[in-house]
Amino acid sequence: MSRHAEIELKDIVKTYHMGAETLTTLKKVSLRVYRGEFMAIVGPSGSGKSTLMNIIGCLDTPSEGQYIIDGQDASRMSDNQLARVRNEKIGFIFQSFHLLSQLSAFENVELPLVYRGMPAKQRREIASGMLAQMGLADKQNHKPRQLSGGQQQRVAIARALASQPSILLADEPTGALDTKTGKEVMGIFQQLHRQGHTIILITHDPGVAEAAESVIRITDGIITEERRGNHAIQPGSPDGLEEHYRQ
Amino acid sequence: MQFSQGVRMAWKSIIANKLRTLLTMLGIVIGVASVITLVAMGNGTRQQVKEQMAGLGTNLLSVNISGRGAVSSLTVEEAEQLGKLDGVKDVSPVISGNVQAKYKTKNVNVTVEGITPSYEGVRNVHIQRGRYITGIDVAYRQKVALIGTGTAGELFGTADPVGAAISLNGNHYKIVGLLEQQGTSLGGSNDDKIMVPISAGSRLLQTKGVRSVYLQAEDDANMDSIELALEGELTRKFRGNTSGYNIFNQADLVETISSVSATLSNTLAGIASISLLVGGIGIMNIMLVSVTERTREIGIRKSIGARRRDILLQFLLEALVISGLSGIVGVLVSYGAAYFLTRSGTLAVMTWDTIALSFIFSFAIGITFGIFPANKASRLRPVDALRYD
Ligand SMILES: Nc1ncnc2c1ncn2[C@@H]1O[C@H](COP(=O)(O)OP(=O)(O)O)[C@@H](O)[C@H]1O
Ligand SMILES: [Mg+2]
Repeated sequence: MSRHAEIELKDIVKTYHMGAETLTTLKKVSLRVYRGEFMAIVGPSGSGKSTLMNIIGCLDTPSEGQYIIDGQDASRMSDNQLARVRNEKIGFIFQSFHLLSQLSAFENVELPLVYRGMPAKQRREIASGMLAQMGLADKQNHKPRQLSGGQQQRVAIARALASQPSILLADEPTGALDTKTGKEVMGIFQQLHRQGHTIILITHDPGVAEAAESVIRITDGIITEERRGNHAIQPGSPDGLEEHYRQ
Repeated sequence: MQFSQGVRMAWKSIIANKLRTLLTMLGIVIGVASVITLVAMGNGTRQQVKEQMAGLGTNLLSVNISGRGAVSSLTVEEAEQLGKLDGVKDVSPVISGNVQAKYKTKNVNVTVEGITPSYEGVRNVHIQRGRYITGIDVAYRQKVALIGTGTAGELFGTADPVGAAISLNGNHYKIVGLLEQQGTSLGGSNDDKIMVPISAGSRLLQTKGVRSVYLQAEDDANMDSIELALEGELTRKFRGNTSGYNIFNQADLVETISSVSATLSNTLAGIASISLLVGGIGIMNIMLVSVTERTREIGIRKSIGARRRDILLQFLLEALVISGLSGIVGVLVSYGAAYFLTRSGTLAVMTWDTIALSFIFSFAIGITFGIFPANKASRLRPVDALRYD
């Protein structure tokens, strides 16, 4: 199967300066993600997973290194070009949903299309369709606080999908949900994967990671394990995850 | 993002924070309303003054003669000659003095003016009943009199004075007309007087010199040239004794009073516009708080593709909607204020230029004080904004 690298990170470094101290959270991370791949990123808390994800999602810029998305160098893009990438190529799903509280579910979902300048009629069709797909057809006019956590996350997924992005990024999407709704949401991701979306997902849950096609482990800002498809590649020492996969 | 979407977005977030929006608006509303109302009151005062003065005539020149003796005074005939100056439509010489007026047992000291029939047209003083003093009265030195409403009230109470005979310094005069009520002007009451034919008045007051001459111009545009000619004529007649007379231009007075009241109302409006400025700072304050409070919202919007200019537009439009609404409410409030002021006797006249100006001003304040917070919001990096809580 010939696969196209949709995302390519080359020696990405992220450094924070806090007064005299500098903190390097990503230490020359290189990574390729192929079109249609379902990748899980695992690792201990504070290891730099979210930092990496934010760079992939064009929410943050690396201190050093090159980031190429869909053949274009993101590290050389202007503010407006980055906004366009976020709007058209990437759907971001957060642990705490990040819905706008004054807007209804419908208005939240159509917002990316508003920023794209799409006419209202077309927006309505797409947003309603997405909500219906997520099983929320009857919740269109509900405000986020009138919805359960699982429903809110489904609204957030509908919003991420509304702009029909090729890449879906999810930072611990089930972290704020109970096990049962977490499983439902994961089911949605698997379905989206089958539809051909490229999915990168951060998780603490080994069960969730198991569902993914590839797994990346980050420890202390370094990729310590990379398992592709059925073939595990282990640049660092294994630490029991593999055992989990074999179960 | 389309502009109309931006307005809707701004409107939504304003609606979501009703109390805060109202408090912000209050400052601008008070500012706009007080500027417009104060200017309207100034306009009203000016208009009232103008109307009062126009009643006296803006095409009127008056000469007061204070000199005595043959050289420094003007006979009735000489005064009438002044009417032949270029551009003069009519002339009204007046002899005046005080007499003792008596009717039955009532006795008052009153001003008597000896006049000619032209007085009515030149001074715009009419009768409400009876007849005016005629040329025949003047020619035959008839002992007839017109009476002001004030004096009539003192002497006759509620009884009709027309047709009655009174005594002026012991001479019997017949009252032939009752004057219209004049009200008071800067010089005091205009209703406490008696008017007689100038020939009779000259004998009654034992003087040949006229006290004042009123000249009515054909057109109030050539007042200055008439005044100049008059000045020359009088200097010649008075042989350079310029202190013997005094020329008084009604239009100048109107001008002076108008400009004084304009200055006053503009000063007040200036002070009131400081409150507009304070209101603007209030908007900036609220918008800054709002940017901080809504940092996460900005982050979310950016994460789904909002550009810097979308965020800028959103916050700027919020400031503009707030200031625009405040402008509208301020105009409405000042309309109400003008209505009640006018009803309670203080004329307040709203003009479109004031309304437009304060409206534009409140919009300008919205832009000026909205741009800084809006710019701040638009510059936030998505990660930093999302991390904020
Ligand atoms: N804006 C920031 N300023 C300073 N340090 C930060 C900032 N963002 C993240 N960090 C630090 O970078 C490290 C990695 O954070 P993160 O990527 O969120 O970890 P993870 O998602 O794996 O738990 C942490 O030690 C965190 O404190
Ligand atoms: Mg994290």
